[in-house]
Amino acid sequence: MSALDIRNVTKAYGPTTVLDDISLRAESNEFIAFLGPSGCGKTTLLRMVAGLETVDSGQIHIGGQRIDELAPGERGVAMVFQHYALYPHMTIRENMAFGLKNIKISKTEIDARIAEAARILEIEPFLDKKPGQLSGGQKQRVAIGRAIVKKPDIFLFDEPLSNLDAALRMRTRLELAQLRRRLKATMILVTHDQVEAMTLADRIVVMYGRKIQQVGTPMEIYGQPANRFVASFVGSPPMNFMPVTVTGTPSVVTLRDGTVLTTAIANLPESASWELGLRPENVRVNDTGVSAKVEFVERLGERALIYARLSDGTAITAEDVGLSRLTIGDEVHLSIDAQAAHLFDADGRGYHAEAA
Amino acid sequence: MSHSRNQKWREVGVLISLIVMGLIMVSPLIWTVMLSLKSNGELLRSTTNAFHPPYTGENYAAIMANSGVFRWLLNSAFVSILQTLGVLILSSLAGYGFARLEFPYRNQLFLIVLFGLAIPEQAVIITRHQMFADLHLHNTYPGLILPGLAAPFGVFLMTQYFKAIPKELDEAAMLDNASRFKIFWKVLLPLTLPAQATLGIFTFLASWNDYWWPLISATRADMFTLTVGIASSQINFAQTSGLGYLMTQAVFASLPILIVYAIFQKYIVRAVAGAAVR
Repeated sequence: MSALDIRNVTKAYGPTTVLDDISLRAESNEFIAFLGPSGCGKTTLLRMVAGLETVDSGQIHIGGQRIDELAPGERGVAMVFQHYALYPHMTIRENMAFGLKNIKISKTEIDARIAEAARILEIEPFLDKKPGQLSGGQKQRVAIGRAIVKKPDIFLFDEPLSNLDAALRMRTRLELAQLRRRLKATMILVTHDQVEAMTLADRIVVMYGRKIQQVGTPMEIYGQPANRFVASFVGSPPMNFMPVTVTGTPSVVTLRDGTVLTTAIANLPESASWELGLRPENVRVNDTGVSAKVEFVERLGERALIYARLSDGTAITAEDVGLSRLTIGDEVHLSIDAQAAHLFDADGRGYHAEAA
Repeated sequence: MSHSRNQKWREVGVLISLIVMGLIMVSPLIWTVMLSLKSNGELLRSTTNAFHPPYTGENYAAIMANSGVFRWLLNSAFVSILQTLGVLILSSLAGYGFARLEFPYRNQLFLIVLFGLAIPEQAVIITRHQMFADLHLHNTYPGLILPGLAAPFGVFLMTQYFKAIPKELDEAAMLDNASRFKIFWKVLLPLTLPAQATLGIFTFLASWNDYWWPLISATRADMFTLTVGIASSQINFAQTSGLGYLMTQAVFASLPILIVYAIFQKYIVRAVAGAAVR
């Protein structure tokens, strides 16, 4: 009903192209996250859907209707802004009613919608206050409330949690997830925070360098990154990359320090060079295995991150259990789960073991 | 303990010095009022007894009898109010335009407006006089009001103020189906109220106190503003006779300003304290 269809959209500011031939479809009631580093064009794409930026070429459709030439208010979208963008001189109630009054919705209907949204978001006590009297988290709820009362086809969230402190961000993230289950609407979230994208979205669109790098479920993005950028951007701490030589199928890789690992990746094409990708959780401190020297230890409580170097100088990040006893300069052995390894060819394209 | 006692003494010191400064500021006003309550004959002999009775209301009676003063007061009020409203409307619209709309030569036009800040009235007054004479605008209300409407400072102030309002608000309102005028009127303009108050107060004061242009443009007594009217009833600048009457005129002339000040005190203080608070 309210699927979003972006077709071959391009955007440039003067000579600088920020979005290059982007095509994407979000199904009705799907939650999509645009994930990418600053300047990758994710916010621009969202603003083009909202009508706050023009589309240079290509089309955008919502529910089968072309909307990229309509005024922002006529597109059936509601947006939650990064800095809330509440009208400071209006009460919370007036803030929520403003858009509804503009489309001549009856007073009783407006009151009913505001009451409903206020109940869902637990902002009833603030309805007659001004935004300046609210905390950041409360303002964010009001901003979401202002979107809800419009009953839009599509919700657009522009980094809605980035202004909140860490504890509040986590709580609001959870609330957003619960809200989403209740609202049944198509939602687009722009974020540079992979945890937000992973936890909230049905599918993630990873963007970088004017292009969509990969579209997939959070687990696809994490488990089968399409290319080296996605592999390095998603996951914290980031994936280890090390140059290797590859032989046979399933591939046997040789690290620079001579370590030989047998992966589960089969049928590789030709490539001038290969890189092995290993997530830190697949490299564990053990009694046996590849020897390395500890350079730094980060103790996170439930686990510890060990930053080490192999004998040939290759940097590698490993995990140790709980309160690791390792200290800087220690010699350790790392056991590598080669079955979980990824390989990237000279162009950065990713290859993975067949999903079990 | 000693810390808080020190602080208390400091506060007392600040309070005393503020009172002294306040008295210094207000003493000429009080003196003016006292002199206005004295008979002209007594003041001719000496002005040192202003704070001793007897007092008289004869100067006020005399002013009430002079119908010219009321006419001038009305003229001043009419000109100042219309000029203030005009400046507020024009500066707001221009400020919004310069801050939010994209149009050819916008920056060049804004630069021209800024140049206006640097041009003193004296430099253009002859040309302006000639122009108004050609248009037969002297001794008319438009003649008194129009020159004050060219307010580069107002345009500059409002432009900066509109620029400081986050564009996200415009965008949120666009998504809320508001027309461009509605965004200006309902969302942005209310947020510029502090700037409007500042600009309005300064424009009103400047207009009320303006002497030079009304002196040039209004040559008929019925078109005088209060400043010109009062000056015209002075015999010479080192006036010694009719001092009480003169002081009464001064009191009369400042009353509206004092009333404006009393009403808008909060905004005036904010306006002068200005950007630091915002």
